[in-house]
Amino acid sequence: MIPEFDYAPYVWSCYGLFAIIVAWQIVQPMIQHRRLQAEIREERALTAGEYDDANP
Amino acid sequence: MIWKTIKVGFHRLGSPPNFYRLCQRFSPWLWGGFFLCAAVGLYQALYVVPPDYQQGDSFRILYVHVPAAWQAMAGYVVMAILAFIALVWRIRIAEIMAMMGAPIGAAFSVICLATGSIWGRPMWGTWWAWDARLTSMLVLLFIYLGIMGLYSAFEDKRKGARIACILILVGLVNIPIIHFSVEWWTTLHQGSTIRFFGESTMHYSMMPPLVWMTIAVKFLFAAALLDRSRNEILDQDRRRRWVLEHAGVNR
Repeated sequence: MIPEFDYAPYVWSCYGLFAIIVAWQIVQPMIQHRRLQAEIREERALTAGEYDDANP
Repeated sequence: MIWKTIKVGFHRLGSPPNFYRLCQRFSPWLWGGFFLCAAVGLYQALYVVPPDYQQGDSFRILYVHVPAAWQAMAGYVVMAILAFIALVWRIRIAEIMAMMGAPIGAAFSVICLATGSIWGRPMWGTWWAWDARLTSMLVLLFIYLGIMGLYSAFEDKRKGARIACILILVGLVNIPIIHFSVEWWTTLHQGSTIRFFGESTMHYSMMPPLVWMTIAVKFLFAAALLDRSRNEILDQDRRRRWVLEHAGVNR
């Protein structure tokens, strides 16, 4: 079902690049969010009770 | 009464926990909007519209090139508005959002420049020309990279953001230069094909995928901006109590 185009390598490389960059925009913040949550959990376990309760 | 409601809403939105919750709530809907519009747009772009009588199928590249170019510029204007709000009212959420728009805008600039270059090879016979439109778009990419570099260069993130906000406002001058470059100078890049005020030179049968893809990238920008802003708030406020209560780290 993949359409056959003239200039196909040019057309598909553009759509491929678009797909890769879009995928990166979705995946990168997700990975970063999970990493941040893990880091915060770890910090919390190490320094329990040192949180800024006066400035929530 | 209405003004008071807007003001209260604005201040509520400026609170990191409220904004964080808003990002969590709206981001999946915005991604859904993107996937829906992109699916329709890509299907029409690749299967429905006929080949161009001169360019053949290579014209299909415009369905990713043009929306990316428009969004790279529109995203910059959004960042400039946020930077202005951040500098005048010192609202931290506006600062964060202005900063987080830069990598997304840079990504759209890269899509625009790369797809334009790939289209240019068979149509113009060259990958690149130092033409006013292409050069001003490249300058926009460098401005985006400059904002990202400036923001990350400071240990004090608020100071870095304020200086980067000034750069955003200065760089705003490049947006009309990009838009009018094809009118002010003789360029290899063609003039405006689609006009909002006036007759477009593009056939109407080729328009629907462009409209869908343009809406899709707007959703993409908004969703990615909320996701990145949410992460930045989490990073900056990692020692605040609300993070433990609302950000899913208290498990």
